[in-house]
Amino acid sequence: MLSFTLKRIAQLIPVFIGATLLVYFLVFATPGDPIAALSGGKPMTPATEAALRAQYNLDQPFWIQYGLYLKNLVTFDLGMSFSGQPVADLLGRAFPVTARLAILALLIEGVFGIIFGVIAGMRKGKFFDSTILVASLIVIAVPTFVLGFVLQFVIGVKLEWAKPTVSGAATWSELILPAMVLGLVSLAYVIRLTRTSVIENKSADYVRTATAKGLSRNRVVRVHVLRNSLIPVVTFLGADLGSLMGGAIVTEGIFNVPGVGNLLYRAILKGETPTVVAVVGVLVIVFVLANLIVDMLYALLDPRIRYA
Amino acid sequence: MSENATPKPLLEVKDLAITFSTPDGPVHAVRDANFTVMPGETVAIVGESGSGKSTSALAAIGLLAGNGRVSAGQILFDGEDIANASEKRFVELRGNHIGMVPQDPMSNLNPVWKIGFQVKETLKANGLAGDNPKKRVAQVLADAGLPNPEARANQYPHEFSGGMRQRALIAIGLACRPRLLIADEPTSALDVTVQQQILDHLDTMTSELGTAVLLITHDLGLAAERAEKVVVMYKGRVVEYGPALEILRNPKHPYTQRLINSAPSLSAVRGDKHEAAVEETSPAKAEPLLTVSNLTKVFDIRKGFGKKEKFTAVDNVSFEIPKGTTTAVVGESGSGKSTIAQMVLNLLDSTSGEITFDGQQIGNLSEKQLFKYRRRVQPIFQDPYGSLDPMYSIYRTIEEPLRIHGIGNSASRQKKVKELLNQVSMPAATMHRFPNELSGGQRQRIAIARALALQPEMIVCDEAVSALDVLVQAQVLELLDELQREMDLTYLFITHDLAVVRQIADNVCVMERGKIVEQGSVDDIFEAPKSDYTRNLLAAIPGATLI
Repeated sequence: MLSFTLKRIAQLIPVFIGATLLVYFLVFATPGDPIAALSGGKPMTPATEAALRAQYNLDQPFWIQYGLYLKNLVTFDLGMSFSGQPVADLLGRAFPVTARLAILALLIEGVFGIIFGVIAGMRKGKFFDSTILVASLIVIAVPTFVLGFVLQFVIGVKLEWAKPTVSGAATWSELILPAMVLGLVSLAYVIRLTRTSVIENKSADYVRTATAKGLSRNRVVRVHVLRNSLIPVVTFLGADLGSLMGGAIVTEGIFNVPGVGNLLYRAILKGETPTVVAVVGVLVIVFVLANLIVDMLYALLDPRIRYA
Repeated sequence: MSENATPKPLLEVKDLAITFSTPDGPVHAVRDANFTVMPGETVAIVGESGSGKSTSALAAIGLLAGNGRVSAGQILFDGEDIANASEKRFVELRGNHIGMVPQDPMSNLNPVWKIGFQVKETLKANGLAGDNPKKRVAQVLADAGLPNPEARANQYPHEFSGGMRQRALIAIGLACRPRLLIADEPTSALDVTVQQQILDHLDTMTSELGTAVLLITHDLGLAAERAEKVVVMYKGRVVEYGPALEILRNPKHPYTQRLINSAPSLSAVRGDKHEAAVEETSPAKAEPLLTVSNLTKVFDIRKGFGKKEKFTAVDNVSFEIPKGTTTAVVGESGSGKSTIAQMVLNLLDSTSGEITFDGQQIGNLSEKQLFKYRRRVQPIFQDPYGSLDPMYSIYRTIEEPLRIHGIGNSASRQKKVKELLNQVSMPAATMHRFPNELSGGQRQRIAIARALALQPEMIVCDEAVSALDVLVQAQVLELLDELQREMDLTYLFITHDLAVVRQIADNVCVMERGKIVEQGSVDDIFEAPKSDYTRNLLAAIPGATLI
């Protein structure tokens, strides 16, 4: 297990270089001049322009630019944004907010998704199951921005149960409403995934054998159905953690959350290569680590899986 | 029973009817079933799949599938009617009053929990774990014949062999000393020698504990050997019920008579092979169509960290199959017999040795030659449910090889498919149907028709009849026999079932752990087996001692 973990962490290096190289190239190749964007289209003297280009290494060929970026990265220097702030500071402010949001969303979808999914699976074809199936279908079908605005209006503005927008501090309690919106679509998937898995497992031979041993129905479900049903759900949740950390541009936009999604969106518009690449780089690491955790949880849930 | 003048029956099934509700209306799985199990007695229910034997037994432990229910009659357990007992009452009864040993050891243990845990929760649920549950668990496992029980309890099911798992399941079934044990085909997934050990052990344990056993089996020979009374079920009804030996020697119902006549385990002992086949095959004259010499297959098994271990699946095997005869390769699981079949079919490369077909080595065929070879050698596989494409109509399944090999036009192919269906005794209208509409036996006939489509000279049957009920099995074997005589076919017949070998084969190779331990004519092997291994295999055929 240890060697497997180390091997996977070592894999981070080529994956990280590959991903940043690709993103760096994409931003580099995007039409439009970052300096022009920076000046907002106003004319500037050739001397100023040349100085700016030199400051951001924009006068160098692609390979040199990327090489310089990697060199700075080793010394934990992520570069400067066009507004003159260190990218590391920007990330340092945005990531904790998104992390809080992602964790809340993941909790909501994990806890409620598994509970509802198990109940629906055990009562296949009954009222609860049908209701949940229809409700989850609606949630999947309605776009996030509709869902977001409706919940913001109903819960935030009309009922006043939560603040409709998030302040700069983005505290846990402020983030519950956006987390609900963010987690709702995945919640629907988790319910459906758990439900299918439970239905499949509850008719397994070993579940019948467990019943024949004289165990109560409650214990059969908890011990023999649940653990076996969680395996596909865990995969989904792990992959979802990665995408939640990537920030939800729409949800963050609706609730004015100062998170990674917002940061990335603005940086892409401005062609601000250092910020875009830094954010994506961190996201790559988060993705690979989330997948590593999923694989380890796998081995924990299913003893037949052994890593070497 | 001397101390009890009039013993009360432990289980009494009276006029039992079980109905399943399906979208197409109710299905009556069991009707008017009557039988009795006395304390300490073993009663076997025999029948083919779908006869209602398992359903009847599962009703007695409250484990009918969700859409099934007892629609009439009574199930009296110790005088109490439990036919429609509450779930709560069944939870009380299961484990310590009525235990169960299920059919398939591979799927009946939860793969994610340790064996010890699964035994312990049985004991705990029935309040029998005691002060030192670990010791009790080890004891229970040891009683079921598991060596080294403390260490074994700490392992997961996937670390056990099939036989070991079945022992663990027996341990679970008997852990709480039930008065009635329902054993649902407890050994049908196991090799004969393992089957014998397990059943012997089960016999010893249940007689020590005084447990009554309701044994469900499709094998009449096994039922007669192990049970005092036999219940024969057919299409949901009890057609015959009485003392085991009496039914075996003097069957009254036509179904039981057919069952006894076609049971391979019983006919194998009697030695009544189809006479015609014996006459026609004179192996001495025929040229070998297939020659296998010094065939070896070594697999690399990954051990982690790039380490590999060599595993010799087939070890220096040589045999010949004369044209127009059947050679059976017999062995238990893991003996390498299917690996040989795969190499002969050229689906797997050999490590060393040669396979010669009609004077041509098949190891180094070119793409084109291989295509031609495939036309001459065709397979029939074990699982007729898995080997037919469910999305292909029967017509498309049989026609596909003709199309691939560019034989005829669509009109002539259609004619050919009709002919082939006729040859395997299926109506021509079948060709518009799909595999899921056919029974197991019918599907295997389709698989045979598909194999025959290219007019091959040799057919490799890899456990071709193992998944079929005895009566269907006998029919399919008969069909293979007829086709051989009509078309001068050569069969390589891979099987674990020695009983079937006697019905079909001319020559036999007995394999153990990749090596051929004995080979010879079928009569030599059955009448005068030379190796101990063959003798053990023969002795393990259930019912061998009865006639």
